Parts: sequence; structure tokens; C-alpha cells
Amino acid sequence: MKILIAIGGKEFSKPTLDLGMKIANSFKSSTTIAYVGKKISQFSEKDVSVVHQNLDDRELYRPGIRTLEWAYDFLISKKYIEEKELNKFNDYLLVDEENSRMKVLLKGQQSDNIDLIMRTGEIIEQLKNEVEKNNHDITIIGGGGNKGIHQKLIQFIDSSVFVVKNYSVNKTYKILLPINESKGSDMAIETAINFAKSYKLDVEIISVPEDRKSIDEVEKILTKTKEKFSKNKIKSKTKIIEGGAVNSIVNYANDDSIVILGVSPKNPIMKYFFGSKPLSIAQKCNCPVLITK
Amino acid sequence: MNESYKIISSSILFWFSQKKWFVYSILISIFLLNLATPVGLSIPAYHSLIILLLVFMLVTFEPIPFPAIALLTLVLQVVLGVAPPNVIASSLMNDAVLFVMGSLMFAIAIVHQGLDIRLAKFIIKIFGKSKRMFLAGLMAISAILSSFLGEHTVIAIMLPIGLSVIKNIDTQKLDGKNAVLLTLFSIAYGTIIGSIGTPSGGARNVIMINYLQEFSNVNIDYWKWMKHAYPILIIQLVVAYFVLQFTFPSSLKNIKMRGFKKNVGKTNIKKDINHLFSFFIIIGIVCSWFAFNETYGLGIIALTGALIFMIFGMISWEEINKNTNWGVILLFAATISLGFQINETGASSWLVVKFNELLSTLPSNSMDLSWSIMAVLSGLTANFFTSSATVSLIGPMAIELHPTDISFALSSAIASGFSFLTVISSPTAMILYSTGLVSTKMFFRVGILMFSISIIILYLMSQFYWVNL
Repeated sequence: MKILIAIGGKEFSKPTLDLGMKIANSFKSSTTIAYVGKKISQFSEKDVSVVHQNLDDRELYRPGIRTLEWAYDFLISKKYIEEKELNKFNDYLLVDEENSRMKVLLKGQQSDNIDLIMRTGEIIEQLKNEVEKNNHDITIIGGGGNKGIHQKLIQFIDSSVFVVKNYSVNKTYKILLPINESKGSDMAIETAINFAKSYKLDVEIISVPEDRKSIDEVEKILTKTKEKFSKNKIKSKTKIIEGGAVNSIVNYANDDSIVILGVSPKNPIMKYFFGSKPLSIAQKCNCPVLITK
Repeated sequence: MNESYKIISSSILFWFSQKKWFVYSILISIFLLNLATPVGLSIPAYHSLIILLLVFMLVTFEPIPFPAIALLTLVLQVVLGVAPPNVIASSLMNDAVLFVMGSLMFAIAIVHQGLDIRLAKFIIKIFGKSKRMFLAGLMAISAILSSFLGEHTVIAIMLPIGLSVIKNIDTQKLDGKNAVLLTLFSIAYGTIIGSIGTPSGGARNVIMINYLQEFSNVNIDYWKWMKHAYPILIIQLVVAYFVLQFTFPSSLKNIKMRGFKKNVGKTNIKKDINHLFSFFIIIGIVCSWFAFNETYGLGIIALTGALIFMIFGMISWEEINKNTNWGVILLFAATISLGFQINETGASSWLVVKFNELLSTLPSNSMDLSWSIMAVLSGLTANFFTSSATVSLIGPMAIELHPTDISFALSSAIASGFSFLTVISSPTAMILYSTGLVSTKMFFRVGILMFSISIIILYLMSQFYWVNL
């Protein structure tokens, strides 16, 4: 499994980095930590590039490197990376791999299974390119900032998207798995099983029937899903919730759940202009939300 | 749903989300093309104004690459009948375009020599007695150099010096944060202000000189421009120094000039010779701009500078080719070509008539009012559209307002250099923003005061100083 963690400002990115690395460690996956720098106007892009090159030559940190250095030190302080004399950040090499993408190489970093990447440009385009280049399975991004970014990421990025909103290291979380009969739910169930196995978290499977007639059908789906968890020796509870799907799930999730959802089967054009239930849930929830693809 | 349908529609949507301003701009242009031509305007003139609007939108929102905007501008001028292909081709290249090309190459060659270390030594020697003097020195030297060599050259040389002295400052504390901002803004404002000083300070100045020569047959040489602009530059520098000290009060105790002094000591003989030779080339080029600009043109002289650096092996063609923004050169060529057609077709005269009609409806109608509107409009447009592109497109209108009075054209070009409001307005502002240490809000907050004061200074100088020249 390959995981991409997108970081921005230092303090705001702590929960994203922390949860992202927990997931990466539990899945033993290779991880890319990417910092996307500010978009530069075409008028000045060459001038900026010359200045940044000049800063490198003068051993002055170019923008973005300090954030990656902070991220690297944070991983060492949290023991996600073993601290060695060789892998200190003060001796780094920037490799210009392609347009807008630079890789940070540290001496003695080879065994860490972590790539540090700096990109410049429009964030959606850059993260989309990063996922396409390395076939990442999950993109992890913080919950702050512009909500439109999350919607576009979920819509356009070819990987599952984990929006880390209001995450606290000291809080105990449960996995909340809202399901229905769609294909997207099957993906979400698979992911939830893997998460629950690795994390040893409680699982609650919920469903919101559209009308009273479909309650029997929903019960069947819930029972079938619970069996899947039981087969994997994972304890789970099921519950049917009434009301509007989005608000009911958001209220039920509260702030102590990690919500795992399947992507909407809706037409992409309709999703772009009118949104979808998973998109609305991801935007309204006050807790981390993973939308699986 | 069919998987391939989902992939295709998703790709189209992504394209649309990235290029929506291109779609909107084209739709608006098509809509305008289908309206009746306004009274008093010929069809080619009307079409040239529609292309002007299209270019404004595309350059502002950048949905497609600049070279694509440049090519679209040229193609549309021919397809929409603004001018025949040969006329467009001949208006594409002139001294202003050569100057943009030459100054960009010359800048890369200068920056490549690593002159910042030498310059830092010089600044410390002259201004190193106190930290506040040092910052004033950074600002003054940035302004003087920028007035001759252009913003992009000077900010590339000066920024490493600035970042060296602030690199260990803790920006979590207000005093430290202010010291960082004061240092960066001193360099940036010095560089921005300096660029109005001489014709070679910015491409916009050369473009305006070129337009004045073509449209009004008025010649402004290097010295004449300096006599008009340099006093404004000096007053602005003094004002900027106090504005920055007032906005970012700091004890400056965290600025470490000692560590910086150690860093600047590392040079060797080969570098010394290179630096000395570079110094002679720069002096030679600046002197040539003074002495021969009417004979050879500013563009050819700038190109000569880059040529000498290449002939003596002080920079490779690969280095110049890699770092030259060819897209910007192409875009300027296309916008200057459009500027010529806006003038030739009579579109600029029509706009000026409409502008004057609008002014006559206002209670107080005078030269002062039309000057003020034109100067503020030039300054504001430049802040959202970059200065050179602004002058290349609205320069013809500024000249048309008073073809025999150069104060209108000069004011428009100089006001376009007041890039204090947005980070997209100039290479200096964008480079400052790209450090991640200055936000767009911060830039605007300081800039609005500086912009307003600069317009007032420009007005007073045009009223009381230029009239005596």
C-alpha cells in the first residue's frame, strides 16, 4: 500500500501527519510526505526559480524545506522514524525530478520508506499528479482551509481520500461505517476491516433506510456485513438510523468517530455541480472521514 | 454506470475546473462579437477591444500558458480582421520587445556571477555601523541598482543577503517577526521603487517610450526620463523607510550581522576576476544606455550585455536558455502588437472620447481629474495585471488623452510601477511571497498606504516639478 500525506503549515499539519503515519505504520506502507508550495504567477516563475536556486547555493533554506524539516523532526520525535546520526536533516540534497516536483534526499534515509517531496503550483493539480505518478492508494489531507479543496480532491484524485478533521491523539475513536447496497460500500467495508484489524478499534455499522419499506432490506445488508467482520474476528455493532442520510450520519458520528464511506456511484458531472452524500458528509462531519475508491 | 464514461466525464470536468476562466473568457468574447458594433467605432477597432478584454481576462486568471495567450492574440487579430498578417508580423518585434528579451538574459548573466557576496561586503562597509543604517542601505542600494538593472536582477541578488541576516530569527515573537518583515520589505520596496528611475528599470518604461515615439513623435532619452523620475524615486524611498519603520516596529536585536560578515568572507581569485569583469560590463552597458540609446536603442544594448557575458564564457547558453522566460517575451510581443493595432484602428481615440464624455458628466471636470483617474487606473490595473502588460495595453489610451503632454504618458508608466498592492504585480512581490514569510494580506496592508502616498507624490511632482523641466 502507498500513502500520500499532504502537509501545509507546521502546527496545522500535526494531526494529519500523526494519524497519517499511524495508518502507514499499521499497514507497513511506503509513505510520501508532500508539501505543495504557493502557486507562482507565470510572469515570475523563472525569476522565482532563479532566486530559489540562488538560495540553495548560499545554503539558505528555500521555501517549503523548513516545513519538510519540521515534518521530519516531528516524525523522529514521535518515533515514526528511528533517530540516527546519519539521517539528520541538516545535510539534504534537492533532486529536481520533473516540472514542479522536487525530492528531498537525506543521507542515511534509505531504509525509512518515507519520501519527502516538494511541489509548487495549484494544490489539486499537484496532488493529482503526485497520485498518478506513484499510484498512491490513500491521500491524507488536513481538514482545515477551503472546503472546496476537499470536494475537488475527492472528485478528481484517483485514490481514497482521508480528510483529517478535528483529530486528537488523546481521544479514543470508533470506526463508523455507514453502508447501503452500492458498490462503493463494498470498498468501504474492505477498508474498514483492514483498519479495524490494524488499529483494534470498535466498529459500528450503520445504515439509513430511504423509507420504511426498505428497512428489511437494510437489515439484511447490515447482518451480512457484520458476518464479514466476525469472520475476520472483529467485534462490531449494527444500527439502523432514521432521518435524512447526511445529517443523521453527521450527528451520529459526533467527534469521536473515524467515518469510512464509499464513493458515490452518481454521474461525475452531477457530483461536480450538485455534490453527493459522501461529499456532504465529509464536509459537515466534525471528525476524520475516509472516502474509499 | 459505464467505467469509461466515468473516466472521460471526470477528465473533462477536471479540465473544466482548471480552465474554467478560459471557457468563460471565450464565451464572453463570442457574446460581445455578436453584439452590434458601438457607434463611432469601426469593426476592426471593436474587435481589437474585444481581444484586449480577452487578453486581460486570460492574463489575470492564467487558465492557459502565456505562450498560448500570445499566439491566440496574434491569431485573433488576423482572423477577426483587425489587421492583415504582414502588419501583425511587423508590429510583433520592436526595440521594446528586444529590451524585454535582452534585459531578462542580461539579468540571468549578472545573477549567475554571484555578485551578492561582493555587494554584501560593500553594504556592510558603508552602512554596517548600525542595524538600522544597514537596512536603510539595503533599501537604497536595491533602489539604485534596480533603477538601472531592473527589478528581477536586483531582487535575485539582494534577497539572499536579506535572508542571511534573518535566518535564525524566531518569528513566533512579534519583535522577531517585525525584524524579518522589515528586512524583506526594505529590499522589496527599494527594488520596486527603484524600477521607475530610468528607462532600463522596467520594460514598461521602454514600452511607453516606444509608444510615445510611434504615436506622438516625442523622443524621451535616458537622461530626460531620469530627470523626471529620479526625484520621485528619492522622495518615495524616504517615505517608504518611515512607513516600514512605523508598520514593523522592532528592536532589530535578533538580526545577526556578525554571522553574515563571516559568510561573506569566502571568495577566491577566479571569482574576484569574474566579479571585476562583470562590474565593467555592467558599467559599460549602463553608460551605453545613457550615451547611445537613441542610436542603438535600449534593447540592442541590453542584448549586447548578455552577448558579452556569453562570448567570454561567463555564462553558458544552456543556463540562459533554461532561465529565460520565453513565454513572457512572446506575450509582451503579442500585447505590444495589439497595443499598436488599438491605436491604428482608432479604438484608443474612441475610448478617450468616451472617457472624456464620462468626465464631463461629473461636477468637477478638469485636467487634474482626468490625470488622477488615469494614474490611479494605471496603478490599480498594474497591480492586478502586472505593470508591463498594463502599459503595453493601456499605454496608447494614456498617450491619446493628451498626445502633446508627456506628463500623462510618463505618469501612466510610473504609476504602473507602484506594485505595492498585490503579490502578482511584479517579480519582486512574487519572489517575496514565494519565501512563505509574507502573506498576501500583509503585502496589501502595508502596500495600500504606500500606493496612496506614491500617487500623491507623483501628482505633486507632475504639477510643481515637471512643469519647470
